[in-house]
Amino acid sequence: MKAILNMTTLFNAGLAVYFCAMVCAVIGLMSRRSLFDRLANGLIVAGVCIQTLYLGVRWEEAGRAPFSNMFESLVLFGWTVSVVYLLLRIRTKLPWLAAASAALSALALAHASTFEADIRPLMPALQSNWLSFHVMTCFLGYGAFAISALAAIGFLVVSREGSAAADDTRKTLETIVSQTISFGFLFLTLGILTGAVWANSAWGTYWSWDPKETWSLITWFIYAAFLHFNFMRGWRGRRAAWISIIGFASVLFTYYGVNFLLSGLHSYAKQ
Amino acid sequence: MSEFLENNQPAPKPALGNPVTRLLGSLPFALTVVLLLALACVAGTVIPQGSQVEPYLARPGGHQVLGVLSSLGMTNVFHSWWFVGLLFALSASLMVCTGRRYRAIKRATGSARLRVIGSFITHISLLLVLAGGVVRVIWGQKGMIQFREGEVVNRAESGEGAMLLPFSIRLTKFELEFHKKPARTRETPADRLLVQWGEKNLVTHFPVELNVAHPVVPADAVVGAAPAFTITMLRYVPDFSLDGSTGDVTSRSNDPNNPAVEVRVLGGGVTNTQWVFARFPEFGGDSGPGGAMPLKFRFQAALPEEVNEQGAIKAFKSTIEVMEHGVVACTRTIAVNSPFSWGGFSFYQVSYNPDDLTWSALEVVRDPGVPIVYAGFILMMAGLTMVFCVGPWLGDQRRTTGGLE
Repeated sequence: MKAILNMTTLFNAGLAVYFCAMVCAVIGLMSRRSLFDRLANGLIVAGVCIQTLYLGVRWEEAGRAPFSNMFESLVLFGWTVSVVYLLLRIRTKLPWLAAASAALSALALAHASTFEADIRPLMPALQSNWLSFHVMTCFLGYGAFAISALAAIGFLVVSREGSAAADDTRKTLETIVSQTISFGFLFLTLGILTGAVWANSAWGTYWSWDPKETWSLITWFIYAAFLHFNFMRGWRGRRAAWISIIGFASVLFTYYGVNFLLSGLHSYAKQ
Repeated sequence: MSEFLENNQPAPKPALGNPVTRLLGSLPFALTVVLLLALACVAGTVIPQGSQVEPYLARPGGHQVLGVLSSLGMTNVFHSWWFVGLLFALSASLMVCTGRRYRAIKRATGSARLRVIGSFITHISLLLVLAGGVVRVIWGQKGMIQFREGEVVNRAESGEGAMLLPFSIRLTKFELEFHKKPARTRETPADRLLVQWGEKNLVTHFPVELNVAHPVVPADAVVGAAPAFTITMLRYVPDFSLDGSTGDVTSRSNDPNNPAVEVRVLGGGVTNTQWVFARFPEFGGDSGPGGAMPLKFRFQAALPEEVNEQGAIKAFKSTIEVMEHGVVACTRTIAVNSPFSWGGFSFYQVSYNPDDLTWSALEVVRDPGVPIVYAGFILMMAGLTMVFCVGPWLGDQRRTTGGLE
C-alpha cells in the first residue's frame, strides 16, 4: 500500500493515464468506434481519481494544501481541466474534447515535472486557511476557461468553409463555450474576492495593483465583456469563440506569464 | 441567443432619458470604458511604476522617455487623473445600468426574473466596491510604525506626515521562528549489508532479508565446495535501543533514526552474533566471542537528515501592549495573517531586521471602507450565483415539470 501511495508513482501514473486517454480518444475519433470513446472517458475518470489521491497524499505529507508553487499549481491545473471536462461530459458528448482535455492535463503534468517537486515549508504570508480556498477557486475558473478555449478552437475548426460538421456539433460547441465561461467567471470572481480578503488580512490592503491582481482583473474584464455580449447582444459563433480564446490567453498570462515576466507580491509562485 | 432572449425576455431597453443618460447606459459605452481600463491595467504592469522607474533613469534616453511617460501619468497609472476618471465613468455607467435593471425586474417573469435580480445585485455590488474604495481614499489612513523592544509610540509615519493614534503601543517582544529542516530520506539504494573479507580480497552485499542464510564463497573456492561462511540476518530495528538492565534490544520508533541489523556468522570455526549499525559503522566489529572474525560488515540504510538545522523563516511576531491613559488596556501578538484591531486601527506585521532582532515594523491602517467593500463582495457572489446557477436551474426544473416560464 505504501508503494502505491508513493507520490512519484502516483504522479507518473496520472500522467500515463491521461496520455493513454488522449491516445484512446484520438483512435476513437479516427475509427469512429464508441468503445474507444468510452475507454478514453474511463481513463480520464481514473486520471482524476489518481490525481485526487496524489493531491491528498501530498497534502497529508506537507501538512498544508499543496497549491503553493509552480509544480503544485500545474498539477492542480491538470486536475481542474479534467474535472471540468467530466462535469461537462455528464450532459454533452464530444469525443474530440476528451482528447483535447486529456492532452492538456497530460501537458500540465509533463510541464510540472520540469519544476522542483520537493515539499518546502510555506513562507509566513502563505500560512493561511485562505490559501486552499483562493487557489482552488481560481484554478477551477482556469480549468473552465481552458475547456472553453478548447471548445472555441473546435468551433472555429468545424465552422471553417467546407467543413462537413453538423449544425448540432456547432451548437453544442457554442453552448459549451458559453456555459464554461459562466462557470469559470463565477469561480474566478470568487478567487479574486477571496484573494482580496486574504490580502487585507495579511497586508492590510485588499487591493494593491500587484501584477497578478491586475492581470486577474484584466481577465475578469474580458470575460465580463463576453458575458455582456453573449447575454445582451446574443453574440455566439465565431466572435464569441475569439473572445474565449483571447480570454484564455489572458488567463495563461495571469497564471504563467506574470510569474516569470513581472515581479510582485506573487513572485513566490514561480519557484 | 442570450439567456434573456431564450426565455422570451427582452434585454433591458435603453433608458428614454436625456442623451447623457442614454450614452452612460449604453453597452458600447460601458464596454469601451472597460476596454480602456483593461488597456490601462496592461500599461500599469508593463511600464515601470512609481519608484520602479529609478533604475531606468540612468539608461541612455531614460530621462526623456520617462519624462514623456510621466507627463501622461503612465508611470503612476493607477493613481493618475485619467485612470480615476475612467473609474468614475464606469461608476456612472453602472449606476444607469443598475437603474435600468431595476425597471427590468418588474417586466421579467419566471426564472428570467431571478436572473435579472441577480444581475441587478451584481451591478449594485460593483458600485459598493467602488464606493468602499472612495471611502478609503477620502477617510482612510495608512502609516508605518518602526520600533524596538521596550519602546512606546503613539504615532505612525505616512507619506502625508505623522499619523497620530488615540492610544500608545509598546513593543514588549519580537520573535523570529524558523522551520526545522524537514526530515528527508537520502536517495540511497535499498538497505543492504556489505561484507568485506580482506584476506580473500572479497567484497559482497546482501539485501536485508531476515532468517535467510547467505553463503560467502571466495573466488578461488573449488566448485561445489561448502561456503566458507554463512551469514544470517536475525533481526532489524529501525531505531535501535538497548535496555541496560535487561540487555533487551527494542526500537524506539518506526522511523529509521538508528537502523541496525543483527547478524549471525557461522563457519571457519567462528560462531558470532553481532549488531551492525548504519549510523555507527565503527561498531561493525571484526571479532566476537566465538573467535577471530575475518569478516567486516557495514550496514547501508536510508537515514533521515539532521532535523534540527535552521530552515526557512516560519513566522515573525510582535507582542505589543496597548496603553490608554498610561494603563495597559490590552496585550496581543501580531503576526503575518494575524492582524490586530483596536480603536478603529488595524495593525499588521510587515517587516523585521535580521541583524537586529529587537526591531519590528508594523503597518497601521484605518480603512472605514472595508465593511462596504466586503458587503459588495458578498452581494457580488449572491448576484452571480443567481444569474449563473439559481436562475438556470429553476428554468430547467420548470421546463422538466412542464411549468410555465
